[in-house]
Amino acid sequence: MDGPLPLVLICASLAFAVVVLVYVALARTPDWGLLGFAGVIEAGALVLLVVTAIQAGGADLGVASALTLFGYLLAALVVLPIGFVWSLAERSRGATAVLAVVGLTEAFLILRALQIWPS
Amino acid sequence: MTSTAPSTRTGAGRVLVAIYGVFALAATARSLVQLLTKADEAPVAYALSALAALVYVAATLGLAEVGPQPRRLAWAAVGFELVGVLTVGTLTVLDPELFPDATVWSSYGAGYGWLPLVLPFAGIAWLLHTRPRHGARPG
Repeated sequence: MDGPLPLVLICASLAFAVVVLVYVALARTPDWGLLGFAGVIEAGALVLLVVTAIQAGGADLGVASALTLFGYLLAALVVLPIGFVWSLAERSRGATAVLAVVGLTEAFLILRALQIWPS
Repeated sequence: MTSTAPSTRTGAGRVLVAIYGVFALAATARSLVQLLTKADEAPVAYALSALAALVYVAATLGLAEVGPQPRRLAWAAVGFELVGVLTVGTLTVLDPELFPDATVWSSYGAGYGWLPLVLPFAGIAWLLHTRPRHGARPG
């Protein structure tokens, strides 16, 4: 959690949500570009989880904080794939808008994890 | 008699299910952590959090049309949710010390961007919008 990665991921997730809303406004369906954007965020979330697991060894974290922290990071890892499966099962504006919810949730999860991390 | 019930999980319903799903996941996880690590600190608030989590899970499943009577499940869940958020919201505004720790419905869900207050209305509006239309009379 030390370093710029969490902030970069939060900004990227928010940007992803904005791009999705543009898609919704233009009635465009998700394409490979959007999927690639989400893939980069997902890879970042995986790196963040691994790096945090390494850094947590030297951090002053209680059991409850550690449980919550990794809960948020694991949720950040699964929310994108689950959201994509739920969204891509249908072609509609509503289905595309699901990805905006996913982007906002991803940003919120990493923000909460960042707040728990002792700086 | 024939009746057609539009799906509650298509179109805008897909977003609603996604938001309810996020709340179900968040409330369940938060409630589990609270009950596992500090259940004795605020048992009433944490039991209420667990109840709220169950309601969100039920609403998600109902709106996503999982189970034998999804529409009935969704109605029961969003109805309970509305009563819950209004009751707990009012109680916590009148007496902020009532619960030692906040629940998702405290102060009408102000800690969650008022979404817990908006969601049941959105859920009820969507269930009304997609209610079964009777196509023909019997006989």
